[in-house]
Amino acid sequence: MNRTAWKLTETQMREWLQGLVDAGSSVVAPVEEDGLTLFSPIAAAQPAHLEASGKTQWSPKEFLFPRSEALYRYSLKGDTVEIRDPEVAETQQVLFGIRCCDAAGLMRLDEIFLSGTKDPLYAARRAATTVVTAACAAADAECFCTAVGGSPVATEGSDAQLVPLADGWMLRVLTDKGEALVGEASGSWTEAAPDDIARIDGLEKIVTEQITRNPIQREWSRVLEEGFENASWDQLAQHCLGCSICAYVCPSCSCFDMNHEADAWCGEQCRSWDACTFGLFTHHASGHNPRSTRQQRYRQRVLHKFSFAGEGEDHFRCVGCGRCIALCPAGLDIGEIVTAAATAIQEEGADAAR
Amino acid sequence: MSNVATNAVPRTGAAAVPDGWQPHIVALVCNWCSYAGADMAGTTRLQYPANVRMVRFPCTGRMSPLMILRAFEQGADGVLVSGCHPGDCHYVQGNLVARRRFTIFRSLLDFLGVDLRRLHFAWVSAAEGHKWAKVVSQVTASVSEVGPLPRFSSADAWDGLDMPAVEGTGPGELSVADLEALQTNVRRAAAELLTTDRVQKVVGYRAGSMSGRMVPVMVTTAADTSQLEWGDGCVNNLAAFATTALETAANVALVVKTCDLGAVTGLIREGQIDRDRVRLIGVQCPGVLHGDELADKCRSCSGAPHPICDLVVTVDGVRESCAEPDEGSAATEDARDAQIAHLETLPPDERWQFWQRQFGRCLRCYACRAACPLCYCSSCISEKHRPQWIPTAIDNRGNGAWNVIRAIHLAGRCSGCDECARACPANIRLDLINRKLALEVERQYGSAGLDPNQKTALIDFRMEDAEEFIL
Amino acid sequence: MQLAEISPNPYHPNLMRIAGFADETRDVRTLKLQFIDAAEASEFGGWQPGQFGQFTVFGAGESVFAIANKPWHPNGSGEPPTIECTFRAIGKVTTALRAMSEGQTIGFRGPYGNHFPLDDWKGKSLVFIGGGIGMAALRSAMLAAIDRKTEFGDIVILNGARTVADMVYKDEMPSWQEVEGVRVVRTVDPGGEGEGWDGEVGLLPNVFEQLALDPANRIVIACGPPVMLHYLFLSLGKTGYQPDQVVTTLENKMKCGIGHCGRCYVGPFSVCKDGPVVTWAELNELPKDY
Repeated sequence: MNRTAWKLTETQMREWLQGLVDAGSSVVAPVEEDGLTLFSPIAAAQPAHLEASGKTQWSPKEFLFPRSEALYRYSLKGDTVEIRDPEVAETQQVLFGIRCCDAAGLMRLDEIFLSGTKDPLYAARRAATTVVTAACAAADAECFCTAVGGSPVATEGSDAQLVPLADGWMLRVLTDKGEALVGEASGSWTEAAPDDIARIDGLEKIVTEQITRNPIQREWSRVLEEGFENASWDQLAQHCLGCSICAYVCPSCSCFDMNHEADAWCGEQCRSWDACTFGLFTHHASGHNPRSTRQQRYRQRVLHKFSFAGEGEDHFRCVGCGRCIALCPAGLDIGEIVTAAATAIQEEGADAAR
Repeated sequence: MSNVATNAVPRTGAAAVPDGWQPHIVALVCNWCSYAGADMAGTTRLQYPANVRMVRFPCTGRMSPLMILRAFEQGADGVLVSGCHPGDCHYVQGNLVARRRFTIFRSLLDFLGVDLRRLHFAWVSAAEGHKWAKVVSQVTASVSEVGPLPRFSSADAWDGLDMPAVEGTGPGELSVADLEALQTNVRRAAAELLTTDRVQKVVGYRAGSMSGRMVPVMVTTAADTSQLEWGDGCVNNLAAFATTALETAANVALVVKTCDLGAVTGLIREGQIDRDRVRLIGVQCPGVLHGDELADKCRSCSGAPHPICDLVVTVDGVRESCAEPDEGSAATEDARDAQIAHLETLPPDERWQFWQRQFGRCLRCYACRAACPLCYCSSCISEKHRPQWIPTAIDNRGNGAWNVIRAIHLAGRCSGCDECARACPANIRLDLINRKLALEVERQYGSAGLDPNQKTALIDFRMEDAEEFIL
Repeated sequence: MQLAEISPNPYHPNLMRIAGFADETRDVRTLKLQFIDAAEASEFGGWQPGQFGQFTVFGAGESVFAIANKPWHPNGSGEPPTIECTFRAIGKVTTALRAMSEGQTIGFRGPYGNHFPLDDWKGKSLVFIGGGIGMAALRSAMLAAIDRKTEFGDIVILNGARTVADMVYKDEMPSWQEVEGVRVVRTVDPGGEGEGWDGEVGLLPNVFEQLALDPANRIVIACGPPVMLHYLFLSLGKTGYQPDQVVTTLENKMKCGIGHCGRCYVGPFSVCKDGPVVTWAELNELPKDY
């Protein structure tokens, strides 16, 4: 269905954004805080940091998959236990100005939380969320979306998309939710001309050329998996420090832990972010740990992102945002490591030990 | 019957005190003196407020800051810690070690915005029933005055805090030729150690994939030393890799900046690495970058390599050194001290808001722990789950607990390399917390410096240690 | 808005009363659990052999155990089932569970996972090999097979433990042999036999080889510590078993049980969703990451 595309001035965009806030939705947008650009619910349109390029410090996934939440609460009364399910927020949520890589990341989270047994808390939040992406006019140094099959103007996961122009923004409406979000606001907007729409391809080309990383080959999924025992894994991740920055800033990482946060009378089943990079992730109570070294854990992360695809999955789980590269305290570069491992495995054979 | 403390309207400007609010105060008391003293207060029918719940310990020496923290984290409005008088400890010296610990922990909580009217320490002996009653009355009145514990949450609106600029230009500018000379000399030094078999592995820096950033590398052959680089992107403290490097090499060389040496010393002092198996290649440093700017820690540093290193690398060449560390240490200056001083001028609840905002951003990625060479516990306190000391929930309360515990575990040991703050993806000012505690330790007890034979402050004690805040 | 208005909560455990227990060893206990809430009991769909549950100790957390008693399905009688599980007190949750008594309340979520495909084994002979507490994961399938003995060839049950004191299900084993064609072999590791032991002495893989069972038309169902399985698989290969004749159940650390938390992945294989029951042939396709 051909939906209208609009041309907006910066002022018009801010007015629209203000309208969304005034309508009572929880509007999440990039804001500045202590030298960082972060996603946060905004109380007004003005502080939102909406630029033609540049990513936030970490992904917006916490607005669908919070850092911590209660899966149920309970209280003990003598020998009986009362369990209460969590409340589900009724407000609508708008993720405004997330990047295309972030939107792709949300689609990866959908594949986990909405398949098989659906996660109802995630599903409720997702249903109440409308996504307005902002395409990129320039790549950050660490970006490599195009190397993993993504694009700075990709519409995957977007309900509407703002495309930066020299003189304002173009707004592409992509879904019914996007239409609903635009609502009456478009009354004062100009329709985008075909020439404007054609500029999107030009923008994509400019940004793609800025991304210097070599593409990750599709067949490397298989190569990496076959080379599970290859010695290059140890060598390449030698300097991993074993934190979980990569997993936590990543748009598509979704692993979590579950613990009872409790006192003697009541408590909750608390779900919180966890990462396969931590030593205890696969640690058995018996003491056995299938991934007892950092290098084995890093290998797992790489393979989970680039191989080990589920049935019907035809894309990498990595969306190429590059935040893990920019923020890794030890300077590991997952793209470089994938390339080097695949090359080593192909050259030396899958099981080669150096 | 009890004299229940009356409410007082808090002066903090926080939310109004709910009707009928009574402070909840937890007292950590030692069994032999203070618990007996409290018992005596009871048997002699002394009247005093009933707001205190006691937890009995064998000794103040067993009272970990973790337990004081836990009381606040579980909702106590105030905490009282009480034990035997110094010199009278049932276990001889438990309270003497505890005294230092309490002094520093108190200054940490104060720095983080906990109003000190909530936290009290006392020496109450078994014969001092009257003193116990008086202390409890005093503490209850004090906590009543300040009101309920503030919530562990970030304020909805936050305008940031104006901090004084960090002054200092750091090491002088090094020319491109100078940097190249240093790089060549680092390679020479490494190659020399490898070819003479003085070491079998060198931990240094190589080029990373992001422009200007170097990353750690371990080389084992002279030929591979051509990978070694040197420049303002050499941010990592390679002491963090010393222990693993030594697992597969009899002797290891570390390329070090002077700011890395405190951690190396700490590892030696604490028995984690053997000085005889480590060669230090100290290199003249141009100062490292944090983002695009010179890192704050560099602004008060000359960049000169330190003579305790085995080899010293300058623009002019490589020379043997390996001097003995100086006894004691002169207090170092740090460009951030003005920011710490500024925070200390603010009222506690503004500091609380500042730090709650910071901890609210914490993701619990534990990069601070991972990057710190002195966080080497094979099982971290955050990983202990019987009981779960640090809440697993990634919220202000749990994050605050984690950051407080890590800070106090490093007090007296932290070398100020700032790797934690550099690694933190949330820009939390961990450097200010650690520097504040280093200043406090220095002020009270002196710091152990670069001598691995000197004890760090919090595992030591003197009879004459200060205790002006102890009731 | 209440969650229940839009969807059931997959993490909400059923409340179970500890109706009884039997101590198998000094640290292994079998619990008998009954539904407390009649509505929860009536909605319960039962389980297949090999499936597992997440058992909750309120305040300590959850732990995964195989459902240890015979498979059960709603049979129209309205009688709710008793759920049994056998566990070793070794960690936070299991130690807390061990300290609980009859009448107290715990939680149960499940059943999760795939199951032993007994129907596929009709006409074949079966040998169950359990090392230590590995027997717990096999018990449901063993009891089902014994019940349906006429559908199978001979059944051999090999129960191995480090010492006599560590052997589980000691008291019930005689009843398993009461059915014709079912043979129980017990073994302890050398040094573990003690006085009066009338079973075998030897490591499980060795004792298995000594049984000299004919691999033809036989299924091996094994569960035990990783090192035991490793050597057992070597024995099986040596004595002529094909990888698709050998079935085991993976015991990875699990949390959510529904394939979301990411903890139990072995390569692309999610133990809680795609397993825990796997054949040796399937294991060979997976990375050695378990």
